[in-house]
Amino acid sequence: MESFEEELRSALRRCEPSPDFAERVLARVSAAPVRRAQHPWVPWLAAIAAALLLTVGSLEYRHYRGERAKDQVLLAMRIAGSKLNKAQKKVQMVAHRSNS
Amino acid sequence: MPRRAPAAASVFDFASLVRQHQAMVFSIAWHLLRDRAVAEELAQDVFLSLHQHLAQMESPEHVLFWLRRVTSNRALDEARRRQRRPMVSLENAPEPVAATSTGDPLLGTALKKLVAALPEKARAIVVLRYQEDLDPAEIARVLGIPVGTVKSQLQRALALLREKLSRVVGQASGLSPREE
Repeated sequence: MESFEEELRSALRRCEPSPDFAERVLARVSAAPVRRAQHPWVPWLAAIAAALLLTVGSLEYRHYRGERAKDQVLLAMRIAGSKLNKAQKKVQMVAHRSNS
Repeated sequence: MPRRAPAAASVFDFASLVRQHQAMVFSIAWHLLRDRAVAEELAQDVFLSLHQHLAQMESPEHVLFWLRRVTSNRALDEARRRQRRPMVSLENAPEPVAATSTGDPLLGTALKKLVAALPEKARAIVVLRYQEDLDPAEIARVLGIPVGTVKSQLQRALALLREKLSRVVGQASGLSPREE
């Protein structure tokens, strides 16, 4: 049992990579673009900012839709008012003719 | 819970870290993949990634654990990818330079080939156990699997290795008289 495990340990002992391994790693590191260290709370801040933007955006959109609906109601009332005015004038004219 | 202050990147001398751990990182990749070029490439990628995460390293033990974990996981992924499309025969794989051997070189070569033929997870467990001398609890932490799974897979892998090795040794001793 022990000798088998010792043989396994010996077979799987650590081995060295190429002699220039470390130099190649360091060359790749210096060639790689510099990445600024990111604080762990940066993704949280980004998520909160996105949530805020979405909330403000949806509130603004609701406000815009409300304003548009109000404008449409006012326009409808204006049209109805002018139609009523015309109708009233016609009624008055008819009444005036029948009286004379 | 007390918070550990993260060490500044300057606390770790990256070049010394590479030189200190290159044999460990390369050997895990080599024993899992049995392809020198791919193992070196993977080991370089691991160190490149360590450089990017250096500010998050809290202690030398953290660096060691991180390197073992990232190397094992990347080598396991690569082994799975290569299993789907095998590239090089184990017979042709050149052996890297190793520290002086204490065991039987023929038995060692046979054992390496048998370990390389184990399923990936079992291979990683055997490599971490016998190359890195980790106990099952440490292996479980590195690989992110339950300790029970490590113990059972290790027992099964050792039984398989013993059985196959006795068959290989039996065949070799059975052949030698005829060769003479």
